[in-house]
Amino acid sequence: MTLFNINTIEKANYEWIEVDASRCNKCGICVEYCPMDVLAMDSKGYPFMKYRDDCWYCDVCTFFCPRVAISMNDLPYLIS
Amino acid sequence: MYHIIETDVVVVGAGAAGTMAAIKARQADANVKIVVLDKSHMDTSGGAGRGMDALNTMSVPPYSYPEDVVEHTTKVTEGVLDQNVSYEFGKRCPQLIEDLEKIMDREKGSLFPVDEDGNYQLFYLHPIQKPLLLPMDGEEMKRALAKAVRDSDATVYNRTAALQVITEDNVVKGVFAFNIRTGDYYYFKTKSVCLTTGCAARMGLASSGYLVGCYEFPGNAGDGYYMAYQAGAELVNMECFQANSLIKDHQGPGCGYVAAPRGAYGTDKSGNPTWSHGYSSGDSKMGSWKAFAEGRGPTHLKMSHLPEEESQVIEKILWGNERTSRKIFHQNRGQDYRDGKAVELAFAEEIGVCGGHSSSGVLADENGASSVKGLYVAGDVDGGLPHSYLGGALVMGGLIGEKAAEYSSEFNTSVDYKGLKKWIKNEIETFEEPLKRDNGLPTDLVEYKARTRIQHYMKPPKNPEFLEIAVWWMERIRKEDLPRIKAVDYHDLLKTYEIKCILAVGEMMARSSLYRTESRWGYQHWRVDIPESKSEWDGQWVVIKKQGDSMKLSKRKVPDLKWDFPAKMEYEYPELSFDVGIPFKKEANWINPKQDKWMAGTLEKQGMATPRKFMPGKEK
Repeated sequence: MTLFNINTIEKANYEWIEVDASRCNKCGICVEYCPMDVLAMDSKGYPFMKYRDDCWYCDVCTFFCPRVAISMNDLPYLIS
Repeated sequence: MYHIIETDVVVVGAGAAGTMAAIKARQADANVKIVVLDKSHMDTSGGAGRGMDALNTMSVPPYSYPEDVVEHTTKVTEGVLDQNVSYEFGKRCPQLIEDLEKIMDREKGSLFPVDEDGNYQLFYLHPIQKPLLLPMDGEEMKRALAKAVRDSDATVYNRTAALQVITEDNVVKGVFAFNIRTGDYYYFKTKSVCLTTGCAARMGLASSGYLVGCYEFPGNAGDGYYMAYQAGAELVNMECFQANSLIKDHQGPGCGYVAAPRGAYGTDKSGNPTWSHGYSSGDSKMGSWKAFAEGRGPTHLKMSHLPEEESQVIEKILWGNERTSRKIFHQNRGQDYRDGKAVELAFAEEIGVCGGHSSSGVLADENGASSVKGLYVAGDVDGGLPHSYLGGALVMGGLIGEKAAEYSSEFNTSVDYKGLKKWIKNEIETFEEPLKRDNGLPTDLVEYKARTRIQHYMKPPKNPEFLEIAVWWMERIRKEDLPRIKAVDYHDLLKTYEIKCILAVGEMMARSSLYRTESRWGYQHWRVDIPESKSEWDGQWVVIKKQGDSMKLSKRKVPDLKWDFPAKMEYEYPELSFDVGIPFKKEANWINPKQDKWMAGTLEKQGMATPRKFMPGKEK
C-alpha cells in the first residue's frame, strides 16, 4: 500500500468506474483491453480498479463493454 | 520462466507506427517471421488508442505537395532537420490514404473528406500558405490496424514490455522483454527491430499532481529513447522540448487542431488572441507563455463565435475521438463550448520530448534506419522526421516494416549466442531485485519526485544553473533511490523500469539544453543567458550517444538543405528584466559577524544539541 496507488485485490472505497453487477456477465473484455492494465477481476469475478491511479480515463472499458455494464460518470478526483 | 524465440523482425510497441510496420513487413515478405510486442494491448494502446480526428501533417495533391511538407518542417525546425526525410514522407502520403481506406474498409469520402472535384480535401493550419491537415473520421483506426496485424500472421505478445535491444558490434541481435501479468521473460533472437515506442509522456508533472494525467499515452515513458541509447544509437534534438497548450487539468489536447482549422483561436483573459496562428510551433508557444508572464491569463480556446452547426461538429469530433473523456470533463464542470471561456488552457504544464509533435528522438534517415545496423525507428520516438504526427508514424512505420523485412531476408548473421541462458538468468535476477526487497521506496513516490524536479528545473525559460541542478537530481535519484525501490508485483516492476527511462530521458533533456549554447525554436529551447539564435548553431544537431557509462554530446551539421525555404519563424525573445522600484533599505546590525556575541555564546555553551528542558513525562 503506497501513498498514491491502492494496488488492492478488491474494490476500494473510491473508484470512478462503476460496475453494474446486474448487467456484468464477468466476460473480462474490459480487463483484457484496458490499455494501462488498471482493471482486474475481484474475488467474485467482477472488474475493479486494481491499479486505480494508473487510469488514463480513456473510456475503453465503458466503450468496449458488450453489456453496457460499466460507466464512467466522473474522472479521477485530481482531474475532475 | 523464460523463453528463447527465434524470429526475423521484432516490432517493439504496437501503436500506430508499430502496427503499420508489422502489416507492411508482411506485405514485403510473405515468409519473414514477425513478432509484435506491446506493453499494453495492441487494440487500444498508444496515443491513437481511441482513434484520431486528423492526420495533422500530410501532402496530398493537388492541395499540397511533398515540397510543402519540406517548407513547413524547415520553417518550424528553423533549419535543423534532414529535408530528405520530410520529402520522402511527403511523397508517401497518398499511398497511406489508400492503405488506411483499405485496412479500415472505408469508401472514398467516408474516412477522409473529399471535395466537389473528388480530391481529398486538406485544411489550413500550418504556418505556410498551403493546407497540410487532413481530417479523419478515425475512432476505430487502431482496432482496424490491430486486426490487420493479426490477419498478417504476425505473432503478437500483449502486456509484454521490451526492456533491452541487444546488439553486438553495433548490429542488432536480440530483444529482451517480460510480461507484466505473468512475469514470463522472453529473449527474441532477431536480425532487426522496429522501434515504435512513442514519445516520453511522463516527464514534467502537471500541476494536477495526477501521475498519469498527461497529454501523451502514459505507457510511453521514454522506453524507446532509453533502449536505443543503451543499444548505442544516436539521439538528436532532445533540447527541443514539447510544451503544449492543453485543457487545464484534463491534460488532453487543447483541441486546437480540431477547432483552429474551423475558426477557433486561443485568447488571453481579455479575449485577445495569444498568437497569430494555431500551429504548435516554438513561436506560438512563446505567445502563450507571454500571456501568462504578463498576467494576461487565464487563456482559453475561443469557440463562442462559431455557428451552432460548427459547435456541434466540434463536439462530435472531440467527444468521439482520441480523448473522449473530454465530454464528461466539461459537462461535469458545467462547461459549454458555446461559452468563450469554457475551455481553459494550461500552457507548458508538462515538459517533455516527442519526435512527432516536435523533433526529439532517435536519429534516423529517410528509411527510418538508425545508427545501429538492424535498428529502425518510426513515430514519436523518431527524431529524424520532425512535426509529422500520426501521418508520419503511419507512413514511416510502414516503411521501416518493409526495410526491416528486406534487411532480415538479405542479412546473414553469424551472431554468437553463447552463454545466452546464463545472461538471461542474470538479467532476470537483477531486474527482479525490487521485487525481492522486504521494503523500500514505493515506485509512485520515486516517479513523483523525479517528475516534479524535471518540471521545476527544466521548464523554459531555461538557465544553465537550473539545468545543472536537474542533472544533479536525475543522477541522484538514479544512484540513490532506484536501488531502494520496492516493487509489489510485476505491474509495479514495470514502473521501476519506466522510472529508469524517465531519469535517462530527463538527463538527456538537461544535458543537451546545456550543450546548445543559444536559444532556438521559440519557447522550446529558450535560454535566458543567451536569448538569441547563434549562426554557429544554424543547421546543427546536438547528438547524444552512449560512451562507456557516460552520455557523450556532440555537434553535427545536418545534411545539406536542398530546398531554400525560410528557416525562421517570426518572433523575438523578450528581455527579462523587471524594474521593481526602490527597495526599502535598513542599517546592518553588524558589519563583522564576530559581533554576533549572544548567539555565538549560546553555541559555545550548548554546542549543536537542542536543550530538552520542558519535555512530556518530565513534569513532577
